[in-house]
Amino acid sequence: MDALSAVLQGLPMTLVLTLSAFAIGIVGAVPLAVGLSSPNAVLRLVCRLFVDLVRGVPIIVWLFLLKFGIQIGTFKFNPVGAAIVGLGVVSIAYLAEIYRGGLESVPRGQLEASSALGLANRTTFFGVLVPQAFRIVSPSIATYLTGLLKDSSIASTIIVSEMVFQSQSFARQHPTVEGILPYVLVGILYIVLSLPVAYLSRSLDARMRKAVYA
Amino acid sequence: MTLSEIANGKLAPRTGIRLDNISKRYGDHLVIDDVSLNVEPGTVTALIGPSGAGKSTFLRCINLLERPDSGTIQVDHHTIEPGKVINAKDLAALRRTVGMVFQSFNLFPHMSALKNISFPQQKVLGRSKEEADERALQLLERVGLKDKANQHPGRCSGGQQQRIAIARALALDPSIMLFDEPTSALDPEVGLEVLAVMRELAEDGMTMIVVTHEMQFARDVSDTLVVMADCRIIEQGDPKAIMSDPQEARTRRFLRAVLER
Repeated sequence: MDALSAVLQGLPMTLVLTLSAFAIGIVGAVPLAVGLSSPNAVLRLVCRLFVDLVRGVPIIVWLFLLKFGIQIGTFKFNPVGAAIVGLGVVSIAYLAEIYRGGLESVPRGQLEASSALGLANRTTFFGVLVPQAFRIVSPSIATYLTGLLKDSSIASTIIVSEMVFQSQSFARQHPTVEGILPYVLVGILYIVLSLPVAYLSRSLDARMRKAVYA
Repeated sequence: MTLSEIANGKLAPRTGIRLDNISKRYGDHLVIDDVSLNVEPGTVTALIGPSGAGKSTFLRCINLLERPDSGTIQVDHHTIEPGKVINAKDLAALRRTVGMVFQSFNLFPHMSALKNISFPQQKVLGRSKEEADERALQLLERVGLKDKANQHPGRCSGGQQQRIAIARALALDPSIMLFDEPTSALDPEVGLEVLAVMRELAEDGMTMIVVTHEMQFARDVSDTLVVMADCRIIEQGDPKAIMSDPQEARTRRFLRAVLER
């Protein structure tokens, strides 16, 4: 079971990367989503360009650029910092697009009713739009989170010692059949880790469906 | 207590509304062509006409859900010129004075019936939760839906949803109510529940403007019948007089089509 303990050594780092990037994304995507559906054409264009730029380049390229391409004065990213910032910014772009889709899928009549009642824009946004959009997007957010969990393995390429990095090290030290074992284990671990997210998403979805229609 | 007394806690102030030379176009397409309408306080105006005549658009211009390109709206000492910059105070006053009921109800699906009626009162009028809830319950009882207070709209029939929507609008103490084809999405039997509530509201003396295809309602309840066709008002006056003896050929054609089906 040396292989298992080797892989498990990477587990905390995998969780740190995934959860930090997810937290950055969840919060940072809010203003970007508002910008993406802004009536101001310039702001909309800038936000759109940002999203397309970030999503158009593979994550591995972003991580290399951040890790090896940035030096401001004496500041350079350490591997973990580069991985968290890179995965975080990518999450912002993807989640903003998910939020925007959710906001736009709330029927127009909801906005008209809010206007006719005289609700302030803020009240309409937070009291009417967001609660309905959240229900619509929560499964997509959960799907993104499971994707992000797996994408955090890309950080192994810039020497962040998460689970895949640990698997590789073990395999390199055991160039026999045993070397394949950590990859099998790490695969199983990713599946196990994504189960609670999927479960949470389904129960959240069911609960909110009930809250809306019950 | 009457419906509008419950809404107001006192008798509704009687406010009329005056619209002058309202025009609206989408690009090159004219949808409202220089329409003027004066609605006296406490009267019911029924707006009928073939689809595409601009009835709904005109109604939505009254509370500025659609922004007319020109014309003036006078309500409650406020004069609004939609072609120019509208200040926030005038817009808020207009929306406070005018309540609206939609064809598709537009209740908030994530809130219970009670909260649908209570939430806007708290946000727009600054009422306490207790006061707003109490008002909401009184109104729900009056439209016959007290037992639905804790249900979400998705669990209510169309007719029930529309009555909740009427209660939601009344809770903000409007002095004018706009109805945009309130029964068109309902089957005829269910529509009657909604029409009964509207009748009662008319008897209370609420100023109402109703876009409708319900000719019986228009004849029996309205004080003024307004016929729109091709983006303008072609005829208006006493409903019974117009229905029995329309002056315009276009009105005659329309009435024959709706009354003889």
